[in-house]
Amino acid sequence: MTELFSFNDAELQAIFLSVKVAVYCSLISLPLALWVGYKMARYNFYGKSVIESIIHLPLVMPPVTTGYLLLLLLGSKSLIGQWLMDSFGIKLSFSFQAAVIASVFVSFPLIVRSVRTAMEMVDTGLEEASRMLGAGKIKTFFKITVPLALPGIISGTILAFARSLGEFGATITFAGNIEGETQTLPLAIYAYMQVPGKEDPTLRLVIVSIVISFVAMTLSEWYIKKIKNDRG
Amino acid sequence: MTEVDIKLPRKNFDVIINESFSDGITGIFGPSGSGKTSLLHSISGLATPESGRITIGGRVVFDAQKKINIPVNKRNIGYVFQEGRLFPHMTVEKNLLYGLKKTAHKKVSFKEVVELLNLGHLLKSKPAQISGGERQRTALGRSLLSSPDILLLDEPFSAVDMSLRNQILPFIIKIQQKVQVPILVVSHDLPDILKLTSTLFVIKGGACLGHGEYYDLLKVKGISDIFGAGTIVNSIDMTVLNTNPQSGLTMLGWRGHKESEVLISCEKSKSNYKEGQKIKIFINADDIALSTEKSNTISIQNQVYGTISEIISKGATLLCIIDAGFKLVVEITAESQRRMGIYKGSTIWCLFKSVAIDVAG
Repeated sequence: MTELFSFNDAELQAIFLSVKVAVYCSLISLPLALWVGYKMARYNFYGKSVIESIIHLPLVMPPVTTGYLLLLLLGSKSLIGQWLMDSFGIKLSFSFQAAVIASVFVSFPLIVRSVRTAMEMVDTGLEEASRMLGAGKIKTFFKITVPLALPGIISGTILAFARSLGEFGATITFAGNIEGETQTLPLAIYAYMQVPGKEDPTLRLVIVSIVISFVAMTLSEWYIKKIKNDRG
Repeated sequence: MTEVDIKLPRKNFDVIINESFSDGITGIFGPSGSGKTSLLHSISGLATPESGRITIGGRVVFDAQKKINIPVNKRNIGYVFQEGRLFPHMTVEKNLLYGLKKTAHKKVSFKEVVELLNLGHLLKSKPAQISGGERQRTALGRSLLSSPDILLLDEPFSAVDMSLRNQILPFIIKIQQKVQVPILVVSHDLPDILKLTSTLFVIKGGACLGHGEYYDLLKVKGISDIFGAGTIVNSIDMTVLNTNPQSGLTMLGWRGHKESEVLISCEKSKSNYKEGQKIKIFINADDIALSTEKSNTISIQNQVYGTISEIISKGATLLCIIDAGFKLVVEITAESQRRMGIYKGSTIWCLFKSVAIDVAG
């Protein structure tokens, strides 16, 4: 039994990398989703439904396609990729950044959807009341809208975190399967599965990924319940 | 002084108002969908009129011609909504402090507001944990602490049940006296408004039907019908002359008129009045009887002497406006008028029981 849980360096790296990618992904998605979700919830503008469809596309497309599109868009042979290489010496594809970018694209629809729904549920009358008390739009957003939408914002962020942990297709296409750099948990599990006799490490990593997801979900559920209780 | 000269298109009609509102309490009265809330929204900036100009205490907040349209948060207006709109995630204290001006000249301090509105024991509670009346009081206090130039109350009592309304009304009067802020209060409930003020602005179909004192407005054609959907109420400011704890009766006077003295039953108010205290009393117009002579043979103790200054027909009944020092409206049938032979200019005794009198507070 103890043998089952003795991790080697490559495995630990995969675990650590996965969590790191998921954390970065959540941190990048969150402010963007707050902004996009708010605009979507409160304003009507020309081309809104088109933007909505584009945001939601990665949710319905096979992740491999998303990865492939990212490769076309940001890969070293693309216009942006070449410009980044020439100007800053940055190569996006097949790097840690690429893994984060792939995760962000795939999980963004989930977090935006959550944030938007939560903000739509916030009574605009309360925002009106805040403005009437002399608060500007920014103060109203951070003091009224965000706190009241917090349960939805948290669950959206956790969804994005979990989706990022499980991300496979877009990552392997756009970021590759480089040990220590882009080999996240699902990629490592897949790699071990290809090798005969690696059943133990495969199972280990599967259990770890379940535990991480479970802990994240439970913590967020607990916190959301706490917020709701505090509100009475 | 708040001056409003606006045209605001609405679905079924245009709200066209050109009025000046005094610095006291003005009641905005009219049937549902008459444009009451549109008026408040225009003043506060929640709605933008098509044309016109709005000034509050001399400060222009809207001028269509000069393209001035001060945003909602810079208008310095206190707005109390029908549902209170307290922030559910904040305690009562945090709600109160939300709009507190730090640098500007404060009209009233936090401590004063808490005391004035009796909120001390609620400060740490969340809005969901307090009663409807307490919520409205908190909303009032929150608006006051933003040191507004004008206070707009949009149906502040309708979310509160009847018994609690009488607990909020005196607070509004206290606020006005203490803070000296002009108040516009919208309601479709006439008795509620009259408990606060006798200065009314009557609106219907987006247009002003009348603006002035309640008893003068009764004479305006069309208005008594709007008022009279329910019972017409008399609202009179009186002074306490003396109290008699044994009989449970309190004697009230009106500016020293000997024949306008009124006895009220203390049980009505459950409070002990002090001599010289000013209170508002209310009597329904149909709770008053008329008599051509004073009577010592009946149990009714309140017999007020006056002259009929006006007789207005209101549907099947008549409204007699009687000048007894203060004004008194009495509702009688046309048949009674004929039988008694009373007309404009007749002198008359108004009879009402002390238990028929309601007291604010």
